[in-house]
Amino acid sequence: MIASVPEPNAAIDGAVEKKLGWAFWLSVAWIGGLALAAVAAPWLPIKDPDVLGAAPRAGLFSDNLLGTDALGRDVLARTVWGARISLGVGSVGIILGLTVGGTLGIISGYFRGVVDQLISFVFFSLLSFPSLVLALLITATLSRSFWTVAMTLGILGIAPIGRLARATTIQFAEREFVQASRVLGAKNGRIIVRELLPNVLIPMGALTLLGMGISIVAEGSLAFLGLSVEGDAISWGKSIVDGSQVRDLTENAHVALVPIVAMFLTVLALNFAGDRLREYTDVKETAF
Amino acid sequence: MSNAQLSVRDLEVRFPTSRGVVEAVNGVSFDLERGQMLGIVGESGSGKSVTAKTLMNLLPRTAEISGDIHFDGEDVRAIASGHRKHFWGVKMTMVFQDPMTSLNPVKRCGEQISETLRYHLGMSREAALKRSIDLLEQVGIPEPARRVKQYPHELSGGLRQRVVIAMALACEPELLIADEPTTAVDVTVQKRLLDLLDELRRDRGMSMILITHDLGVARGRCDEVAVMYAGRLVERAETEVLFSDARHPYTTALLRTIPRIDQPSHTRLVPIEGRPPELVNPPDQCSFAPRCRHAQADCLEGVPTLTNLDGNREFACRYPANTEAGRTSFFANEAAGQTVTGLTIAQPSEVN
Amino acid sequence: MAKFLLRRVVQLVAVLLAVTFLAFSALNFLGDPLVNVVGPLAAIPDCDLVEAGLREDTFSTAGNIGDCEVVSRARAQYNLDKSVPERYVRWVGDLLTGDLGSSFQTGLPVSEIVREKMPKSLLLMVMAEIVALAIAIPVGVLAAYRAGRRLDRVTSVGSFGLLSVPNFALGVILLQVFALRNRLLPASFDDSTLWTRLHSLLLPSIVLGLGIAASYQRLLRTDLLTTLQEDFVNMARAKGMPDRHVMVRHALRPSLFSLITLFGLNTGALIGGSLVVERIFSIPGIGSEIVTAVIRDDFPVVLGAVVVIATGFVVINFLVDLLYTWLDPRVRVS
Repeated sequence: MIASVPEPNAAIDGAVEKKLGWAFWLSVAWIGGLALAAVAAPWLPIKDPDVLGAAPRAGLFSDNLLGTDALGRDVLARTVWGARISLGVGSVGIILGLTVGGTLGIISGYFRGVVDQLISFVFFSLLSFPSLVLALLITATLSRSFWTVAMTLGILGIAPIGRLARATTIQFAEREFVQASRVLGAKNGRIIVRELLPNVLIPMGALTLLGMGISIVAEGSLAFLGLSVEGDAISWGKSIVDGSQVRDLTENAHVALVPIVAMFLTVLALNFAGDRLREYTDVKETAF
Repeated sequence: MSNAQLSVRDLEVRFPTSRGVVEAVNGVSFDLERGQMLGIVGESGSGKSVTAKTLMNLLPRTAEISGDIHFDGEDVRAIASGHRKHFWGVKMTMVFQDPMTSLNPVKRCGEQISETLRYHLGMSREAALKRSIDLLEQVGIPEPARRVKQYPHELSGGLRQRVVIAMALACEPELLIADEPTTAVDVTVQKRLLDLLDELRRDRGMSMILITHDLGVARGRCDEVAVMYAGRLVERAETEVLFSDARHPYTTALLRTIPRIDQPSHTRLVPIEGRPPELVNPPDQCSFAPRCRHAQADCLEGVPTLTNLDGNREFACRYPANTEAGRTSFFANEAAGQTVTGLTIAQPSEVN
Repeated sequence: MAKFLLRRVVQLVAVLLAVTFLAFSALNFLGDPLVNVVGPLAAIPDCDLVEAGLREDTFSTAGNIGDCEVVSRARAQYNLDKSVPERYVRWVGDLLTGDLGSSFQTGLPVSEIVREKMPKSLLLMVMAEIVALAIAIPVGVLAAYRAGRRLDRVTSVGSFGLLSVPNFALGVILLQVFALRNRLLPASFDDSTLWTRLHSLLLPSIVLGLGIAASYQRLLRTDLLTTLQEDFVNMARAKGMPDRHVMVRHALRPSLFSLITLFGLNTGALIGGSLVVERIFSIPGIGSEIVTAVIRDDFPVVLGAVVVIATGFVVINFLVDLLYTWLDPRVRVS
């Protein structure tokens, strides 16, 4: 039988297109361009972000393109340099979360039994902390270097990433092709690396982008709690906090707004790209 | 304009989709007299459910509808776009295929029946509940006072469909559309439900449209049967006429797929070969031609029009079965071993 | 049902123990709590020797005997001379009697601090949830009703965008626009009367609520679109019930169950958000208290507050699960 009459809502909601679309590529371009600018910051023709200028609280399009902050430092330069730390802790964090969470999740989902119960309990306990509270707990006692902040953000990712990896592994471990290699006598390690890993990595791609966005926001939140990277290091979060003094907000809002817009666009791009990628690689749709 | 209770003229329904425009219903016209029962028969995708949903104003907004629908002289499509209070549910209502899904899982059965009474008839909560219990009793549900407090999943499939029927009948509608009302329930329950519907209909003098893919269900209950294929009405006749003397080759093919008591018990059931056609950009030809054993070259040129013979039957075929033209065309195809569309006629089969 | 309940309670207790232990050991292993009490004195290397009676000279390498006495008194007072597991057991014992220890800084009992600060934070969060639901439910229902039309597109883009605005950014912007530039709403907390409290928490709760509203709206819209495909919705329309009734009474009700689940999951983000929002709007709630305590290395306050928050979070999710099974007739029976 052929259902020649379409599901009414396929028409309303727009059947999922199997194309990533221009907006996806625009998002990727923004993230890529920003990452490039962050890496190349020392060589870019921008002012020194740490030099206390002669004209504090300068407006937009003055001698400094995006104005200066309360200490006369160039906002544009600080935003570009801030991307180094913000994107940096974000990506290192998510890589850490992926490695640890992904590994634990795959082990948990593949071997099941006691190992699974133990790991699942750890995930569950980690998820029982509101994430910012967990982050606070870790950063509170340590010196807050770049690496501690990145590690903290990574730990936040372990449980959610691990749970997804576990669920995907379970789903694939029961598929015929995995069962087949098991019957053919393949070793566990080989099955995991050759058969499961590629399939588990697919949904991870989308999660990486979404997770990076979450990490960047988390760095900002930590900055508001005074717990972001210590010292002179510049991050978006810290720049936003700097620009949020009452006097700055009333007279010179752009000091906070420029890093806010940078962060918003980045998070938006990451969320959008991640969302599209998730739709695009949705296992349920591409399964058969 | 006829003085029928329901009159449908040149109904067309199209759905724009990403693959093209689906012509789900194409030029369907029929009348239904008060108190009569019309069966609409066809495979899935034949447009019978879309026709019903059009009558009930249930199609999504993307559907493009044209044609006239009049109920008691009122323009139904104008009601749909204007004030439509107390029309559907009161004058015309519908029951759906699956009793498992046509009741709201998170509302008590009683609530679902009485909300209709409260809205349309302005009954109080207590009066509506009391009436709901009466209705459940009328459709043969034991312990109705207990059932109204239960949730749908606490009832069996047969009981649920009875609840749905009670719900539909709550406001004494004049026309009931039943879309495959028994496909989802056990065969043993099927007949009882159909008999119940028939009985309730006669008691109330209600008209009914029974939509089914099973000609056997229509027989003995419907006054008239309309056969739909690929969005078009291909044959319409009084039930007994249709069963004894069908004209459209699709109808005769359908008839061969059902077991019949009036034929010897060893009669073979013959499935219809081929698949229903695509409804996206259909070619300008008889849509059944590729599966038809009577098909001739001119069947591929233009859609045959519905011809009305003595007023109580019409069909859309140039080589109708049980006529001289039909027999000649069939024998010619049989002799050639295949039809003009390439359908092979393997072994000699009975004349029709 | 009783068995199910029992299993859930056992699970709850296990998770609470794990959570408290994790918090406890994080603060004990990652730093030396002694430092917080006696400051640099904790670094005197030979005090243990003095205590053990091995060195009897007046001066140790870095300080004098008097300093060592301060150290050993502090150790005894805060049980720092015991091993971590033993301290944990004692601490849980105290916790059960409602004793969360006292602040290293002020000497005030932590339970008292929590009792004073918590209501303000709770009020903020409750108001934020109300704001979120008040926005998300009507907008979600309208978007689903007008699916694919302009209103739907606009709100979909809007909520997607809103989800990408960090709440501190939203806080800073709204603070600037509504409190500093236009003075429509107060910029900081005013505790004098109930009215001023509600009034001054309005802007913070909008900041906190908008992000949550966006996620609720998205869920509700998708869920409703699925529900609207169901036969029972067609049935309700075939009965001639008006669109409003069909949307609210038939379609919305099953979708609210998914919303309840999301409510539980979102509580974590809500708590995290309130920490930040309290800072921006100078609300002296539990969030501000934690931050101050962290900066001053006030170990018992941080631990006490974190444990109270985490416990609240776990218990809320537990209750949401129970509520879900209790409310949804489909789950209730099985």
